[in-house]
Parts: sequence; C-alpha cells; structure tokens
Amino acid sequence: MILRQTSLSGNIVQFCRFLRQKGFALSAEEEATALKSLSFIDYQSQPIFQQALKAVLCRSKSQLDEFDALFLEYWQEINQAVDAKVKSKAAPGAKPVTNPPSFQALKSWLNGNNHQEIEQTAAYSIHQNLSRQDFSRIPADDIVEMMKIIKALSRRLAAQASRRYEKTAKIKQPDLRRTLRKNIRLGGELMEIAFRQPKCNRLKLVVLCDISKSMELYTAFLLQFIYSFGQVFRRLETFAFSTSLHSITSLLSHHDFANALQALSVQNFDLQGGTKIGESLHTFVTDYAARLLDKRTMVLILSDGWDTGDIPLLDQSMKVLQEKAKKVIWLNPLAGYAGYRPEVAGMQTVLPYINVLAPVHNVASLRKLAKWL
Amino acid sequence: MNNQSSQNQITLTNISHLLQQQGYITDQSVAMSVFLSFQLNKPLLIEGPAGVGKTEIAKVMARVLETDLIRLQCYEGLDASHALYEWNYHRQLLHLKMLEQEKQSVEEKEKTIFSDTFLMKRPLLQAITYHQQPVLLIDEVDRSDEEFESFLLEVLSEWQITIPEIGTITATHIPQVILTSNRTRELSEALRRRCLYLYIDYPDFEKELNIVRQKVPGIDARLSQQICGFMAQLRLLKLEKTPGIAETLDWARALSILHIDHLDKDMVEQTLGVVLKDWHDTRQVQMSLSQLLEKTGIHSKLDNL
Repeated sequence: MILRQTSLSGNIVQFCRFLRQKGFALSAEEEATALKSLSFIDYQSQPIFQQALKAVLCRSKSQLDEFDALFLEYWQEINQAVDAKVKSKAAPGAKPVTNPPSFQALKSWLNGNNHQEIEQTAAYSIHQNLSRQDFSRIPADDIVEMMKIIKALSRRLAAQASRRYEKTAKIKQPDLRRTLRKNIRLGGELMEIAFRQPKCNRLKLVVLCDISKSMELYTAFLLQFIYSFGQVFRRLETFAFSTSLHSITSLLSHHDFANALQALSVQNFDLQGGTKIGESLHTFVTDYAARLLDKRTMVLILSDGWDTGDIPLLDQSMKVLQEKAKKVIWLNPLAGYAGYRPEVAGMQTVLPYINVLAPVHNVASLRKLAKWL
Repeated sequence: MNNQSSQNQITLTNISHLLQQQGYITDQSVAMSVFLSFQLNKPLLIEGPAGVGKTEIAKVMARVLETDLIRLQCYEGLDASHALYEWNYHRQLLHLKMLEQEKQSVEEKEKTIFSDTFLMKRPLLQAITYHQQPVLLIDEVDRSDEEFESFLLEVLSEWQITIPEIGTITATHIPQVILTSNRTRELSEALRRRCLYLYIDYPDFEKELNIVRQKVPGIDARLSQQICGFMAQLRLLKLEKTPGIAETLDWARALSILHIDHLDKDMVEQTLGVVLKDWHDTRQVQMSLSQLLEKTGIHSKLDNL
C-alpha cells in the first residue's frame, strides 16, 4: 500500500520500503545515506534525483537493471494515490489492514517460532524424498528446490579442511621442525621462522561433460554441484562435448548451464546427433592437456559411454589423460541402477584407465562423490 | 589544506568536467557515483568486464584530488600480513644479536624491537597513516579469499588497525576507497552494503569514439569510426575473451602508426592479434570476418570480384 507522503524524507523512506518488497536488501542505514546524498545534489531535477538514488540504493548489476522500471512504477503509483485521494477519502481506511499481520508475526516469534518449526519439518521431508529421486524423474516444479538442496550440500562438504599441515609463507602457526632444520646452518640460532597452516585440498579440476540429449539433465545438476565448490578448487575448467569439444568455462561464469547451452547453440555448435567421445577427448588432449593437466589436476568425465565414434582414438586419449592427471573419475548416471554392467564398447575401452567409476543419478550419490573430490 | 579547497570546488556539474580534463570520458552514472562516493566518503565498488577502465577511475580520481594513489592488488592467498603490516623479523633478530653484550633490561630491548623502524607498512596501513587523504585502490577484490574479504570489511568500517605490540592506530585521514571486481566470484552482501555500487559496461559507439579520438589524437576520422563499429560488432560474438577499451586503443594506435586511413579485410586479418588474445577467438573471427565487416559497413573490393 503506497500512501502519498508530503515530505521528502517520508517519500524516500516509503520508496525504500517499496524497493524492499521487490527484493532489495535495504536497511535504515541506506535510507539515511540516500537522504544525506540528496543534500549534495540538485534534487529538483528528476533525472539527477533518480540517478543519485540509483547510485546509492543499488548493490548489484541485476538491481541496477531493475531500478529504472521500479522507480517509474513507484512514482506512477504515487500519482494514482493522489488521484484517489481527490475522488474519495477512503485512503485512511486502508491503514489498519496492513498492521495485524505484522503483529501476528511478532507474536509467533515471541511464542518460540511455532510456525517456523512446522515449516522446517515439512522442508526436511521434501529433502528426504528428493535426495533419493533420480534426476531425470524430478517433476519440473521441484527442480528449484533440488538446486537449493544441492547447493546447501556442496557448501557443507566444501567447508571440510584436512587435518594435515602444509608449509606456508604467511605468518601462521610456527612449524618447529622446519624452523630447527632451517637454522642448523646458523649454528642453531633461530633466525628464520617457518610456518605451517592446515592443508586444504586445493586441487585443480577439469570437468568434461557429455551434453547429448540423454545426459543434459544430469549434467545440469552435476555442474551446479561442482560450481558451488568453486572456492575449494584452485582452478576449475569446464568443457562440453557431443560430436566436438568446446570450452564453456567463461560461459558458465556469466550464466547458468541452460543459458550456456543456449549460447553454444547460437554459435552453431552441433549439439544433437551422436556422441563422439573419442574425437572429443582427442581434441582435449591435443589442444588443452599440455596447459591444463598436471599431477595436481583431477579429470572428471560425465558421460553414459554410448559412443558412435572412433574406439582406438578413445583408447589412446584416455591413456594420455591417465598419465598426465592425478586421477580420472568417470561419472555415469546409468551406474546407479542395480543391474548395470559397463558393457558398452566405449565403457569397456576406458575402464582400465579410470580410477573411479561412480554413479551420479541422485543427491545421495552426489554426497558420496564428495569423498573423491 | 589543499585537500579541503578541492573538496569545496567539486559539484556534480563540474566533476565530469574535471574527469574529462584528466582524460577520462564518462557518462552520467559514473560521474554521479564518483561524486556521491566522494561527498559521502563511502567506498566505491566498481564492477564490470575486463578492460573498460575500472582501475583508470582510481588513477584519475587521484589526479583530480591532487593526491597520491595507494594500490593494493588482490590475489588468491593474499592475507592480512601482506595487506596491513609485517614485523621485519630479520632486522629484529639482528638487532637483538647486536644488543646481546649490552646491559639492557628485557623490557627495554622489547620496546626497541617493536617500534616504528621495525614495522613494514603494507598498503592498508600506509593508506590509514598517510599525511594527506589518499586514494586507496583495492584492485580485483574478487580474486582474494573470502576470509580476506571479511577482514577488509572490518578495516573499511572502523578505519583503525590494531597491532598487538603497539596498540590501535586510528586513521589520520579517511582515504577515498575504490574497489574493483571482475565478477569472477560474487562478493558478499556485507561488503556490498559498505560501498556504493557502480557497474561499467562496454561503452556504446559514441562514447568509444570519443575515447579513441581523445587518446589517439592523430587518428583519421573515418578509421576511428570504422574501428569502433567493428569492435561493437565483435563484442556481440560470444568470445572467450571479449576485447575491452584497452584493446580498441591499442588497435587504433597500431593502425595510426601504420598511417592507415581505412579498414579493409587484409588489414584486419593481419592486425587481429592486437585485439584478440585467444587463438580460439581468432579462429572464430577469421571464419566470420566477411560477415562482420559487412555488418560494420566495410566492403572489400576483392569480395565483389
């Protein structure tokens, strides 16, 4: 409910409340800043006024993009409110309606969050059901919920630090053993102090995703999972392949997976048609392996192993991958089914070269996957 | 004093003028954000793709305010001791060694080794203790770790730094802070709330033309138009590394040194390396070069034959 305010400060405060409804996180501090900023500018001029509020109240690119439309909407509503007041004096009657719900919320908060507890148990049961569900059978309405679960899971897994220590140049805990060793040549006089810190598993990760139609959904969930891990890995490179191979690292940093795929198809890359794992991996080995692979890099391949391409080429490429990388993990959604045997020609070829063959078909399997990362 | 007088001079209308005088071409939103960040004395967080002149704003600001720029380049693994201060261990140890024979009490010795001479000031401490209000540039803050980000928050809100051995150092002048980010990682909401936010995108045709003409004075009028038109088309392609203004300027300078007054297909092909730095991009652009040039309105005579 927007009421007409006669003072400038009243208007600003109400505008901030309006923005808050639209998802802007604004506190009293921002309102004060906005008012303060108006004292430096000529707020008679509407464009300058708008520009100033925009500079002070927006916090991200998406908010900047939304702001102009919201600004317009607000002042239009204000004008309507003015008209309504002239026609009838019903405006004050609306005021009490807005108050009771907020008291209700306050009361429930004072009484120990009864409402919230019910909501939480409900959410938990959803979690339970969804985590066993195969990704391909998730109804469209639950996908957002699923993404949330995956994000929460990966954040928790990512926080685990190792109990071992590594040396560091930063000023951290002193490392007595290395300090003594270092200073032996100085006759045991402790001149240089060595430090250590808890070791983080800062691996580099290369993800190769099969994006043929049958794999699309699994890939989307896996990437969501991996990308929430972003801080844990020293470096994360992502490639998509079907008949040919393309780097989608930079696309993914700006968009989510679905949009990235769309951008790929805009560039006329062939996404439909059979999968040529051999050719794609060969492209990776010749073009990127020298730059990206070393003994601290893990290669994660997501594919169902159905291959219409060149088997000897696949064999040769996998051999190089295994030699150069620390570990090769093959994720196959089909491996989650009880009766699965890796009997497809493609899978038979790669089996000697991979360290782990793991399923990724539901949230529970993703949780197990974290053990390998 | 100097500082005080320049603060009084600055109003919204003349700040873009001042920026322009220093060779920075702005639009309204940039001028407004810089102006307000200056007046409210709040940090300014600038986001945007690489090479659109984020860092340049800080440099120009320093020139406008006639003060010095202190720069903190962020990188993965940057920690407080590199950003704030460090004790000069070696010097302390040597100093103690030299004092060994003298009859001083332990307290006295301790007092000398934890004094200003043994303190190495890193950019943040330097900015806080500077003799006039400096411009502090915290570059590429998205590259630093999350822990450093929260540490930064503390400094940005309190403007004081506590060194256990000496005590709390409060800022003599609150620096004008500019943070830049390439959006490789989302910054925390808390840091955003401390700052004013500004997003700089790739410039539109007119703005870029202005910039090219100002920065490359001897350039041919037609050539500069063609370059900017071509760059605008190039940015529509999905490239791995989209070229920024820096690349446009490099290219314009290169072509103007070669005394070229218009673009043609051969010329573009030969000098593409100035603009594109990734060979996948180069290959992609080479394949669609004729199309691109046509969209820009450049026709090669050879194509018509």
